[in-house]
Amino acid sequence: MLRTTLAGLRLHKARYVTTTLAILLGVMFISGTMVFADTLKASYEKSVMGSASSVDTIATPEIPEPQDGTWEDPEPFTQEQLDQIRDLPEVADADGVRQGPGLLLDSEGRAFSHVPPEAMAVEEVTRYEITEGELPDSYDEMVLATTISDQTGFEVGDSVTVLDAEQQEQEFTVTGLLDVEVGSELSYRGAFILTPEAFASVTGAEGYHEIDALAADGTSEEDLATAVAGVLGEGADVKTSTEFGDEMAAQAGASADMIRTGLMLFALIAVFVAGIVIYNTFAILVAQRQREMALLRCVGAKRGQVFRSMLTESFVVGLVASTLGVLAGVGLGMVGFRFVGPLMGEDMDVATVISPTAVIIGLTVGVTITVFSAMVPAMRATRVPPLAALSTSATAAGMEKGTGKLRAVMGILLFLVSGGIVVLGLQGDPDSSAMWIVAVGAIVAFLGVVVLGPLLVRAIVGLIGVPLRHVGVPSRLAVDNSTRSPRRAATAMIALTVGATLITGYSVINATMQESIAQELDGKYPVDYQLSPMLDLESPDAEGEGTEETPEEVGGTDLSTIPESVRSDLSSRSEIDQVFAQRSDSVDSGDDRIANDDGTVPVSTYVGATVGEEVEVDVVKGDLTDFGPGSVLITEGRAESLEAGDTISLGDPEHEFEIAAVVAGTGMFYGVNLDPADYEQVVPEITGDSSVMVRGSDSASSSELREAVYSAVDDHPTLNVMSMGEMRQQFEDMLDIAFYAIAAMLGLAIIIAVFGISNTMALSVLERTRESAILRALGLNKAQMRRMLGVEAVLLCLIGAGIGVLLGVVFGWAAISATLPNIVFGFPIGQVATFLAIAIVAGLVASLLPARRAARTSITGALASQ
Amino acid sequence: MSMPSARSQSPIQAPPVVVARALTKTYDTGGTQVHALAGVDVDFHRGAFTAIMGPSGSGKSTLMHCLAGLDVPTSGSVHLGRTQITGMRDGDLTLLRRDRIGFIFQSFNLLPMLTAEQNILLPSQIAKRKVDPARFDHIVDVVGLRDRLGHLPTKLSGGQQQRVAVARALLNAPEVVYADEPTGNLDSRSGAEILAFLRDSARDLNQTIVMVTHDPVAASYADRVVFLRDGRLVDEVSDPTAELVSERLLKLEA
Repeated sequence: MLRTTLAGLRLHKARYVTTTLAILLGVMFISGTMVFADTLKASYEKSVMGSASSVDTIATPEIPEPQDGTWEDPEPFTQEQLDQIRDLPEVADADGVRQGPGLLLDSEGRAFSHVPPEAMAVEEVTRYEITEGELPDSYDEMVLATTISDQTGFEVGDSVTVLDAEQQEQEFTVTGLLDVEVGSELSYRGAFILTPEAFASVTGAEGYHEIDALAADGTSEEDLATAVAGVLGEGADVKTSTEFGDEMAAQAGASADMIRTGLMLFALIAVFVAGIVIYNTFAILVAQRQREMALLRCVGAKRGQVFRSMLTESFVVGLVASTLGVLAGVGLGMVGFRFVGPLMGEDMDVATVISPTAVIIGLTVGVTITVFSAMVPAMRATRVPPLAALSTSATAAGMEKGTGKLRAVMGILLFLVSGGIVVLGLQGDPDSSAMWIVAVGAIVAFLGVVVLGPLLVRAIVGLIGVPLRHVGVPSRLAVDNSTRSPRRAATAMIALTVGATLITGYSVINATMQESIAQELDGKYPVDYQLSPMLDLESPDAEGEGTEETPEEVGGTDLSTIPESVRSDLSSRSEIDQVFAQRSDSVDSGDDRIANDDGTVPVSTYVGATVGEEVEVDVVKGDLTDFGPGSVLITEGRAESLEAGDTISLGDPEHEFEIAAVVAGTGMFYGVNLDPADYEQVVPEITGDSSVMVRGSDSASSSELREAVYSAVDDHPTLNVMSMGEMRQQFEDMLDIAFYAIAAMLGLAIIIAVFGISNTMALSVLERTRESAILRALGLNKAQMRRMLGVEAVLLCLIGAGIGVLLGVVFGWAAISATLPNIVFGFPIGQVATFLAIAIVAGLVASLLPARRAARTSITGALASQ
Repeated sequence: MSMPSARSQSPIQAPPVVVARALTKTYDTGGTQVHALAGVDVDFHRGAFTAIMGPSGSGKSTLMHCLAGLDVPTSGSVHLGRTQITGMRDGDLTLLRRDRIGFIFQSFNLLPMLTAEQNILLPSQIAKRKVDPARFDHIVDVVGLRDRLGHLPTKLSGGQQQRVAVARALLNAPEVVYADEPTGNLDSRSGAEILAFLRDSARDLNQTIVMVTHDPVAASYADRVVFLRDGRLVDEVSDPTAELVSERLLKLEA
């Protein structure tokens, strides 16, 4: 039996070419992902392991447990603690690392990023190694982290300006570059190393953020760590360099694993689509080889043997394809790492890691999906009665019988269930868990499409077939052909639907986000520029309502607000039409209906603008016209059971205010909003504005406006100037990059689906050889023949893509409206048109080989063989 | 048969519609050359119903394929009317078949996804030719398909399917109709009906018909029978009877 199976495989190997390709591509994606992620992980680990091995013990202050939801900075080690460690007999030498925020200016003289990078000072014993150049040894030298160097363009030898504690500029020359470990705070904030003297002058910070120690001769890492821990006591986190390295490697590895998980998701989608293609191929082959199967039964093969024979066939196909896929995947992973690695800051001296897991997972997934997909067709093969061998009807004789009422009922039921789930997901407040509910709804709807597929194909072809029939005979024949085996056509097209749904869904989400942002920025009074002070990322719950980003104080000078002089300077310029400011602070309140646990309430006010005009607001309850001196606006979340007209108290001494309106909490409104005069009453010390909004005059060009804004803040390099236009552009670019990345990942699933459609066409053409011959004999020329198949494939692709687009639009929209509040629906008409255009091209490409074959078939040969 | 027909002479004396001269066809099968046709000269006259007979492998199908422009002969020439079809390119041959030739095959004559009516009209539609409704109605009535026009082929009996094929071949009054074993898959009664249609259309519509068959009874419906053996024309009978044809055939195979 095995011999018969293998002989059959050899005979039919041409029919398996596209199936093999489908499996190969899916497996390639999986193995490629594994190899890429493993290599990336090895490279990450190598870079962090190196950085810890130069010392024996590393001690860092323990980060205290958060109090009231706010994180405190850890208490640094003192000079005294360092001296005690140096005095330990186990210690050969020890030094500390100083760390504190330092304001570094970029080449345009503005602060680098709106979170100050870390200035550092290291001494002889340190785990930090300089990748290029040397550590600073005179006051005016510095080493830059590669992350800053990449973003600012500063290189070794360049001169860099840093603001010291007195806000005075100091010049430093870059003498070297430091590679900070991936995923650490230093890597995203940026860092630079100064001499201890320069460090003290720049930051004014005291103490040590880290103490690195070397063991005395004969002392083990562990003993050293124990001794150091004994000195530092509670509040210190002491690790041997091995432990420290392992921990950092695990952190770095985790980010490689995240990339792996993301890629794997797309790989699984590709494999799923490949599974559909395999199923269809085997189903068609079983139908075509009915007589062959029957003959086997006639000569004495049992049902089980026929079944096993089919499975063996699929196993061999799966194994061959998966092996090729793993090989291709290793190549893909290597090439991927060569190209993408440098973008992630990894050097190329890491050997490609081909783990046994990568190979085994690729082979297992490939073979399993193939055999699994072939299971149902193989079952069908066993049902062929031996008598079928003797019947004269050829394989293609029977048109598929009608696709039952049961199917229609089931399909519609599934759609209803899906609709119900989506409605459920849209109930209540938008959050990310609702998105998963919508996703489940989408899967149910997809099952509905699978069940209804044959009916859908027939109905849609019936509909678009009406005009198409009048175009010409080839189109008419194509329309008729495409509904001949609706189940086959539906399966082929559904493979494409998967990819089309996902791409369209994401593209709708993308467009909706862009549209919503545009809508928000283009409000009635669009703001052109926004100025804000330096931020500190160290308060992790900065976004939460009630806690405003705590502005940073660098070296004793208050940089947390914008001096009022900036606002008056801006308003005096002719290029600027309007300037208004938001002030915010946190005040004490004895009113525990509105106060946080620590007895404070965030308050804010708008100066120079009217709430409801320049500053847009969504009123939930009450009337905005009641808002003025003596009254407040309060957000929905904080108001809880309070109503407009109720009275609250704020400040110390207490002031009473009446609630004018309850409003929706947004980026512009949080906590309690007061009239500017009341704000001055409640907030004892006002230092400046929290943010300043600038709207240019219509007559000023964008470059004039930019010039005006920047010259007003020239003396305040730490102010962060944000152009709304640029921000929007950046945001759109980011969304676009994400879109293209996802589209590229899904592209493979689409290519596999197109292979599937091509394969279905090719197998149909084989079945219809005699028909093609008759058509040719009756006078259909080769071009018409090709057109006929082209139209059929395009129809299939368009239906598949069309259903996908429909599902994608509905569920993309549902997903985003279930997740985010206040969105404006965006329909990516250009992208959808592109998808449909691609579907047409894909159909034409898919029909190329089958059509060539059909047109080249010899008429007499086909007529003779029956 | 209501169609008027002016017959001035016996069909065999009418001018030839199809003329083949020195036709050869050689196949290369793994080094050995097989001569399917070894120099055939034959004429087919307007309005004549001719049967081509011969034992299996005598080359009768190959001859028909070459005459119809479905296959390309190795040497020799074929004319359809004044047109030499040997040497024509594929595109032109396609047009020639479409516009000037009708076909009836043994089985799978019809496209399964088209109804009987659509199948009959298919060649005209491929050619974007107007169909004379009177002629369509006449032919449909003659072959007795009036109440079967909307059916798909799978819903028709073998005899009905072949009648659809005959109607399709006759609709455009092509210069010649080629029929390849048209009754091969039919029971004798359906076969007789088909053959009667063919004979009548030759007589009444002056339709030239060339039929390949191995059935002496079928051949007896023709005006003339030509016999082929080993790729050569070896015998010819006019106004045949089944007995006469069987006798000649037996002699050939002996």
